[in-house]
Amino acid sequence: MPRGEDAFTWRAGGCHCGGVRFEVCLPAEVEAQTCNCSMCAKSGFVHVIVPESRFRLTKGAERLAEYTFNTRTARHLFCAECGIKSFYRPRSNPDGWSVNARCLDETEGLSLNIAAFDGRNWEANAAELAHLSKEFS
Amino acid sequence: MELAGQCHCGAIKVLFHPSRPPEELPLRACQCGFCRRHGAATTSDPESRLFIEAAPGALTRYRFGRKQVDALICAECGVYVASYLPLNGRGLATLNAWGAGLEAFQGRTPEPVTYDDETDEEKLARRMARWTPTELVEAMPSA
Repeated sequence: MPRGEDAFTWRAGGCHCGGVRFEVCLPAEVEAQTCNCSMCAKSGFVHVIVPESRFRLTKGAERLAEYTFNTRTARHLFCAECGIKSFYRPRSNPDGWSVNARCLDETEGLSLNIAAFDGRNWEANAAELAHLSKEFS
Repeated sequence: MELAGQCHCGAIKVLFHPSRPPEELPLRACQCGFCRRHGAATTSDPESRLFIEAAPGALTRYRFGRKQVDALICAECGVYVASYLPLNGRGLATLNAWGAGLEAFQGRTPEPVTYDDETDEEKLARRMARWTPTELVEAMPSA
């Protein structure tokens, strides 16, 4: 699999009501994570973590509500109308974004390798995610 | 038996009184665009009882599709708690057992279901036959 820019595709997605839309630049094969922490278990989030430059919000900044808890590092963002959390700023990767794979319009040609992340033991495991938001040099 | 749950921030609390052991109750993964995005796993049972209490200002009601039911969403943390059908002064609901964090429903694989082909009448009949009699209370701000 080539690692160059041309192997990446911008894919669109969004919340349910259509108020919030985003685009994320992904290779054909991506690592994704489910998580058993208190927040992810309730929101059903499937993480695709990307660097800052590979995410853009295209609609609905004013529709986003923000929720924080515990260390208040993660910024949980959801549509104030339909409650969908399409993406957020994760505590593990505050320099990047985590996009919800459930919110992508199209997954054709995209291979999601979903692994279970043990977020209940976040401190012991978060470091293994850090590389996912690093920009290519 | 009484199972207590809540959204993430606790502004919406639920009490579920199952008529049978929870492992005998259905757990469904509706495949509509709303339920999929919330990763919802829902349960309902006409013989059980459900109480939902929302703190002042914490309840967002979202209607979509045929607009017959209110999806109850926490305005503070965004968690989808239940879908509620107001019906002649009483209510029926299906509970997002995972959203409300009911331990008794964790670790199960929900059954995928689709209701795309139903008419409005069929939707109503299904909900009346399957959903849980529910009391929904929105707390008023104290004076």
